[in-house]
Amino acid sequence: MKKTRIGFFDFTGCEGCQLTVLNLEQDLLEILELVELVEFREVMSEQAGHLDIAFVEGSVCRQQDREQLKKIRQRTDILVALGACADNGGVNALGSDRGPELMCQQVYASHLPHLQTDPPQALSEVVPVDYRVPGCPIDGHEFLAVLQALLLKRQPDLPTFAVCVECKLAEYPCSFDHGEICLGPVTRAGCRAICIDGGDRCRGCRGLIENPRTSPYHRLLEEHGLTVDDILDQYRTFNIGEQKSES
Amino acid sequence: MKIELNHITRIEGHAHLVVDRKQGEIKDCRLEIVESPRFFEAMLKGRHFSDVAPIVARVCGVCSISHTLASLMATEQALGVEPDAKARLLRRLLSFGEIMQSHLLQLYFMAVPDYLGISSIFQLLDSRRELVARALRLKRTANRICEVIGGRPIHPVTTTIGGFSVMPYVSDLKHLRQELVAALPDLEATVELFAGFDFPEFERETEYICLSDPGHYPLHANRFCSSSGLNAAVTDYKKEVEEYLTGYSTAKFARTARGSYMVGPLARFKNNFPRLSPMARKVASALTIDADTINPYHSLKARLVEVVNYVEESIHTIDELLLHGLNGTKPRAVPTGGGQGTAAVEAPRGLLFHSYTYDRNGLLDTADCVIPTAQNLANIETDLKAILPELLDRSDQELTRRLEMLIRSYDPCLSCSTHLLKIDLV
Amino acid sequence: MPLEPIFPEQNQNSLWRPVQPAEILRFVHSLLQAYEVVGAQRKRGRIILDQLQDAADLLLEFPPAVHSPKKFLFPNWDQLFRFKLDNNILLEAETTTPPRIIFGMHPCDLHAVKILDDCLFEGETDSAYRAKREATLLVGVDCTPDEYCFCTSLGTDRIAHGFDLFLHRRDGHYLIQSGSERGKQLLYNHAPEVVADAAEAPLPLQIKQCSTRLKFPAETLPALMENAYDDPVWKRLGKDCLGCGSCTLLCPSCYCFNVQDKLEVNLKEGQRIRTWDSCQFDQFAKVSDGENFRSSQSDRQRHRFYRKYKYLWDQHQRTACVGCGRCSRECLSHIEPTEVLNQMFADNLQPERPSAPGIEYQPQMAEIIARKKLSPEDLLFRLRLPEKFTFTPGSFIQISVFGLGEAPFSIASAPDGGREIDLVIRKAGALTQALHRARKGDMIGIRGPFGSGYSIDKMLGQDLLLVAGGRGLIALRSLLLSLLARRRDFGRITLLCAARSIDSMLFREDLLDWHRSGEMDCRFAVNEEENEWGIPSGDISYLFKDLEINSQRTIAAVSGPPGMYRHINPLLFRMGLHDENIYLNLERHMKCGLGKCGKCRINNVCVCECGPIFPYSSIKHLAEAIER
Repeated sequence: MKKTRIGFFDFTGCEGCQLTVLNLEQDLLEILELVELVEFREVMSEQAGHLDIAFVEGSVCRQQDREQLKKIRQRTDILVALGACADNGGVNALGSDRGPELMCQQVYASHLPHLQTDPPQALSEVVPVDYRVPGCPIDGHEFLAVLQALLLKRQPDLPTFAVCVECKLAEYPCSFDHGEICLGPVTRAGCRAICIDGGDRCRGCRGLIENPRTSPYHRLLEEHGLTVDDILDQYRTFNIGEQKSES
Repeated sequence: MKIELNHITRIEGHAHLVVDRKQGEIKDCRLEIVESPRFFEAMLKGRHFSDVAPIVARVCGVCSISHTLASLMATEQALGVEPDAKARLLRRLLSFGEIMQSHLLQLYFMAVPDYLGISSIFQLLDSRRELVARALRLKRTANRICEVIGGRPIHPVTTTIGGFSVMPYVSDLKHLRQELVAALPDLEATVELFAGFDFPEFERETEYICLSDPGHYPLHANRFCSSSGLNAAVTDYKKEVEEYLTGYSTAKFARTARGSYMVGPLARFKNNFPRLSPMARKVASALTIDADTINPYHSLKARLVEVVNYVEESIHTIDELLLHGLNGTKPRAVPTGGGQGTAAVEAPRGLLFHSYTYDRNGLLDTADCVIPTAQNLANIETDLKAILPELLDRSDQELTRRLEMLIRSYDPCLSCSTHLLKIDLV
Repeated sequence: MPLEPIFPEQNQNSLWRPVQPAEILRFVHSLLQAYEVVGAQRKRGRIILDQLQDAADLLLEFPPAVHSPKKFLFPNWDQLFRFKLDNNILLEAETTTPPRIIFGMHPCDLHAVKILDDCLFEGETDSAYRAKREATLLVGVDCTPDEYCFCTSLGTDRIAHGFDLFLHRRDGHYLIQSGSERGKQLLYNHAPEVVADAAEAPLPLQIKQCSTRLKFPAETLPALMENAYDDPVWKRLGKDCLGCGSCTLLCPSCYCFNVQDKLEVNLKEGQRIRTWDSCQFDQFAKVSDGENFRSSQSDRQRHRFYRKYKYLWDQHQRTACVGCGRCSRECLSHIEPTEVLNQMFADNLQPERPSAPGIEYQPQMAEIIARKKLSPEDLLFRLRLPEKFTFTPGSFIQISVFGLGEAPFSIASAPDGGREIDLVIRKAGALTQALHRARKGDMIGIRGPFGSGYSIDKMLGQDLLLVAGGRGLIALRSLLLSLLARRRDFGRITLLCAARSIDSMLFREDLLDWHRSGEMDCRFAVNEEENEWGIPSGDISYLFKDLEINSQRTIAAVSGPPGMYRHINPLLFRMGLHDENIYLNLERHMKCGLGKCGKCRINNVCVCECGPIFPYSSIKHLAEAIER
């Protein structure tokens, strides 16, 4: 049976998500038994034609990136956004609210056109994206699960519940008990609450769950002394924004 | 005729190589860094000090730990926080892990294919599976250090102002030590592999700059030095190093008063040869490299020497930590007031500076980072221009291959070097 | 079903032995050689339940751990079976759970295991759970509740069965009790020195005091929930709840789960596993076409409460919530079950009185404002009524506990035109046991006053002879306090008071006061031989010896157990008292209090209407009145 052809691509990002794939070590060897790795610029010189699955990391910032992405979309059956930058702009979009400064930069950059960029975009703003592996960086196990689902021609299942679940299952101390603001209650689980395990708080790098309970959550943040601006600012670190829906 | 090599493979980040030659003459040769700039400095402005290191880590996936530590140290200096001896040891161990995994990635995945005449290490899965497995095993051990101390190798979670928010478990450190010792046979095999490679003969002396730490192979220090007599405090880096923009690169270049210079494993190796660990020195002689070398391709050998050096240092550091004991997490000090701080670390690719100013409320006002690769870019171009004459008679394919190998020997990290942009109107 | 008694019957085969902490440490150390031992440990400032590596890490005194023993008995990520995907599908059966001991289960946790047993053994027995139950030994330990626990409200603060061993706390040491043969074997094999001598009969078990509680008897809950489906409290919960699922994940009796397949990386083999799920997740009740059968967070929270306090209660006749407080301890929105339920109770029992049919059977709510122990079995309650209350001494009222019913009690205080009355409640059946668990501030139902009491007018200017046998003193106290309130309107007052023992005598302080006041003559007798008051040993008839009364102007009021009248009446006649001047307190089984139900009749006379205080002249012709 012909092996599934997969490839890795990247735009503007830190390449940490692709590195996470390489860090799968022994599991990577097993994966390579099942798939054919046909393109992965960071560690391979080969280039391929048609692909079955393309994993794309990074945000899109310039016209040449957009064109490049469209070409990738054309030569692959399935396109998966790999990591927060590809999924929703991630940390790249952190400066996008700095209107005047950024514009100022762009004014100067007109003297150096090669330095001009547009506000960073998620892949889905340019081409249709089939699936995602969220996080900054992605979780290696989640990547394997998504890949596995695609190999089995199944829909990949991301958790629909919040990081709080993983914290409670693992009995971690709650950040709020230490007076820290945590985005766990509205952020998608799947990372095994690794940041809380490490003594840090959740900054929402995996994006919001489908139906975040924003109203009681904002009330909780206000209880801890945050203003409305503070709360919006929390969402900005990884550009997870605000969703309107609420049950 | 022009040779354009777009999106050079097997390096971190995106760059184009352009060579324009005409009838035996080089008209132009340049390395275009096309990685998109990301304006981290603008992004950090106004952020609370507790958010700065996690955001700045995202500049680079391979050296996120170096950025994190440099950032924390600069912030600590600005706000007047002093990490204790245990925290400093843990940070050293964390850096060892990062540098090891970065070097091993580069050596096995990016460089080895060139010396075996293949296009990627995965081509060896059938014929030399053991080699691929060994590469992954060694990388696993290095990553394990980062996991145990930092929580995960990419974008660590336990690192914080003043030290670490969670201490590693004693049992994990003991297992790690066993793993490091067990890695020695794999390292021997790696040394034998590289000892058998034919490294191109090319020499060009330049200035070699790195941190200086009396008695130690440098890692985290507050002075830096060079092979040309430079000796300064890290806080004075702006007086010694100048960054500038070119018309075709999205990354900044750097120079001292004397011209372009090199940072990285070869610079560290040359400037600190007597301070290498015993095992590392054995490896150096097995690889026939010593402190006098001025062949940039020997950076690869220096990288391998450093891997072994850091393995040995990691074992000693773990022993020291276990003697210290790991009880109690450090209470989180909340510094008040603002300030200015500058710190430097030896990242895998060389000297990394972070410099910040904070306002009274602990919010970041200005940030400046000088990236190792950015410091090397001028040197890379100079090397390319110097090596080209000897390659003029080669085929296009051979020419580009040799130039790529040269670029790869520097292990450039281009995501880092295009992290931020400060444009001065000229 | 009655809740756990305070004094569980001593298991005839139980071993009891005092143990010192050092002996427990050695015991655990020995157990670790043979078993996986799970216990409470401190980790990063939390009390967690985990496998023990070192006996010294085990905690024996701790508030509820984050997770309950469900973590091990019904674990998250439980393999149901393995499979291989070759040409033939090969199913491999799950291997047995390793022998394990959970060392340190609080009574609430042990109750929760019973609930899980009820639910998971019902119908098709859950074999994976049963295998773990059989492979796991349970060692209980007593606890001190914290501010989130409310086990006392549910009776789950103590347990008599369901463990293999139990450690009761004493000062500085423990009392270990075996609860099964397996438990005994564990002691024989791993703590041989502990079994060496058997101890004497155990002391009473520790009784807990929880600051958080239900302000009404827990047995009322199913009835309360029956009417509360549309209560506004669910909407409020829905607004506050973050949907994080912590409550259900940590609840020791929640077990809803998902079943999914996990393949290995090589795609050749895998497992079918079950993982904890939660009715609080928005995807829990969703079906494939997108329809969500419980789409609002209010619906989801309501479902949780109904599971715990109604559905499972209806099914198994016991609470499915054990009052461990884990849900409220971890809730970021501060949702607490006791608050919700107390609010619901208050919402549903307004003192408004519609003129609906049956209104005369509807009680009003009275607040318990004081509670005092009178004897090992009797409690004095002072109630504050919603309105001013007029009655005559000797009347009775009906007390309601919703879900258990109503019972009649004599009023023990005198009518003073106010809103407060005293009652004496002896612990006998389910209702009085429930009342004994009530605390100051609780609300109970009250209906009345019923019955016809003593006619004080007829006593004006006369001498009074009060004869109180045992609990008969209760009604007589009401009369006596009324008399003493206007002492000068009456002649000599003599009180003859007899009881089984000093301890069982009610109102001892009052008796002493009256005795010392000089306003009346008090004579006491007890059955027990020697007593600390130095009063004669004997029964009530003994007190008539050398009694001097003026039979022409004495009115007698006799109140005591039914058998007493047979002996006392002749004494009174011999003293020359007239029939119409002897008042008896004849209590029967009063139910409706309204002369309708028929249960309290003496021949053709209805006690609740015409009594219970009768002048002898009006009942002497009734054959059923006095026991012959």
